Amino acid sequence: MAAPCRKIINQFVKRSLKCFEPRVIPCRWSNTVRNHTVEKHRHSPLSSTRELVNQQDSPSDVMVPREFRFVHPDFLPYPVWNRRDRVREKLEREDMLKRRAVIDIPEFYVGSIMAVTLADKNAPGKQNRFVGICIDRAGHGLYHYFVLRNAIDGQGVEIKYDMYNPLLLKIEVLKLEKRLDPQLYYLRDAPLEYSTFRLDMEPVSVLKGAQVPLNAIKVKMNPRPWCRRWERHNLKGVLPLDDYITEKMKKQKQHPQIEKPWEKHDLMLKARTSIDDREVDQIMTEVYKRKEKIQKEKFQKRGQEGKREVKKAQEVKK
Amino acid sequence: MAAFCIRSMLLRNLTCQNLISADPTLTSRVLVCHQQVRGRRRTCKPPSWFSKRRVSIKQDITPENAKFIKDVIIETYKKPESPLKDGPWSRGTWTPRTQRTGVLAIKLGMLPQWTKDGKKFITTLLQVLDNHVINYTPPDEFAKSMGWKPYWGSKYGSVVVGALSCEPHLFSKSYNNLFAKAGVPPKRKLTRFLVTPDAAIQPGTPLNVMHFRIGDYVDCSAKTIGHGFQGVMKRWGMKGGPATHGCTKAHRRMGSMGGGRDKAGVWKGKRMPGHMGMDWRIVKGLKIWRIDTKYNVLYVTGYSVPGPTHGYVRVYDTVLKHKREHLIENGNPPPMPTFYPEDGKEPIPEEYLDDELFNFNNESISYATEK
Repeated sequence: MAAPCRKIINQFVKRSLKCFEPRVIPCRWSNTVRNHTVEKHRHSPLSSTRELVNQQDSPSDVMVPREFRFVHPDFLPYPVWNRRDRVREKLEREDMLKRRAVIDIPEFYVGSIMAVTLADKNAPGKQNRFVGICIDRAGHGLYHYFVLRNAIDGQGVEIKYDMYNPLLLKIEVLKLEKRLDPQLYYLRDAPLEYSTFRLDMEPVSVLKGAQVPLNAIKVKMNPRPWCRRWERHNLKGVLPLDDYITEKMKKQKQHPQIEKPWEKHDLMLKARTSIDDREVDQIMTEVYKRKEKIQKEKFQKRGQEGKREVKKAQEVKK
Repeated sequence: MAAFCIRSMLLRNLTCQNLISADPTLTSRVLVCHQQVRGRRRTCKPPSWFSKRRVSIKQDITPENAKFIKDVIIETYKKPESPLKDGPWSRGTWTPRTQRTGVLAIKLGMLPQWTKDGKKFITTLLQVLDNHVINYTPPDEFAKSMGWKPYWGSKYGSVVVGALSCEPHLFSKSYNNLFAKAGVPPKRKLTRFLVTPDAAIQPGTPLNVMHFRIGDYVDCSAKTIGHGFQGVMKRWGMKGGPATHGCTKAHRRMGSMGGGRDKAGVWKGKRMPGHMGMDWRIVKGLKIWRIDTKYNVLYVTGYSVPGPTHGYVRVYDTVLKHKREHLIENGNPPPMPTFYPEDGKEPIPEEYLDDELFNFNNESISYATEK
């Protein structure tokens, strides 16, 4: 046997033995407990504050509609792995569901036209109603927010609302539709006619169960200057921008460091910025169950109240 | 010999060390060398008195035997509700000078909450997981022990609190012996609190989130996030050099130092590159807004509790005078020395909320009816 071959084998054996050595925790983590260790201690039989696994929480064969996760993107937690915690996410979801039981938060998407009523101390009627197109929707859990845009007196106005703010009195969807892009901030650099909506607009009714209509309108942008370099954003809902940009800008746009063609193949990036499908299913099943339960309770309450009212009316008649 | 020891300790830059003679008859003689040192001990090596805790597990145990060991461990620590061996100690009364023990919590992260005025603010969630009192040392004994500092005098005793129970066969014998008195399984993490003698607490007492009450103020001390060896721009926020215009190898350097007529020379404490983070920091006077008794979680003001998610945090009553005033004025002292189940007669509710905090079960806030 040749000597170099033996050397390679020795190295291989050494490396494979390394995984059996006791793990050395680096100093940087010495004051921190790993996520799986915390979970172990929460369920450990030695623990005095043992958390029992609730059978109701475990996923069962409840069929959750496929659209449910796209209707409720706010229930997805923050995806950065070292900032996640199961109990915190659970408590957060509980708060969200409590709030959703009180106020009706309808289904809406970026591109839908909405009206929001907000309690305001300084407004004349102590409340303020704003109508506009939803240009963005982001944030995880209780941090979830959406942005409405409208042109009022020839001036573009944008308002950012926290979805779980208790000052929100009513959320209405006047026209339920989707657009081609996930964010519509480019309306800032488009003519105001694209973001002008009447404040007394009447709601457009949509058939229940029908697919959400897609508004494939292509916006004609204003000439530069713009608030962002829109030519680099690969916008779908915009007419071609070639007339507005210079040759140099076109060249720059195709530069690999700006175009970043590898990003769509980057699995690690995807793992870092999104949540695993199986986990999403688990969360959505839990939320779906809870929502159904809340709705049932609501119907029962309404039924009881209705019965009481009928009884009262009968007594009055007598 | 003692002089040599002290000199060697000075060389090793230890801040404080007590020497106890090996002869047990002379234990009352304590040699104290206390010297204040700027900054902290920046080394990865454990101190000389540190003994090894963990024991390597033998791999040649069959799965049946491993399961048998686990069952035995669980059975030995399965006890009636009270783990206190001798009769319960008498409970002291709270005075404005009292310093109670704290708890060792784990940081879970941040969540926004709203007040009843509709103001949004951030809270930090701290979970008190499986905490027990491991040891109490009265002041006179504590003064003879290691780690005591002369300026504490004889005011304080010490309470050792542990969090997260583990299986004993993972640890060395000497470490396991620490828990014999309390009768609890060995803990993953220990910490020490200074307490006044009226807040003496019996070893083996479980501590939970009910140790604190809504509206009380606490201090949190923890180690900050470690960043390793960092340059001057990240560590101290200096500006660095220019990116272009003929700048060579000075983009992230600090500027000149040591100039100046009278003040010339590099003074002690000059901000330079070095180890960043992993320092003990205390945040004082954080209000408790909300308590979840089901999961043992505290909601505490702000996002400035040091450390990463799942870092250990020491939580104890605040030392700020103006935030302890309401305890004296209203005459509602905190539970002494901690909350016992018999204190709350009714079944404890799952959640406590501050009066100013918005309850998500309530209707939306509206000002229309105020007229």
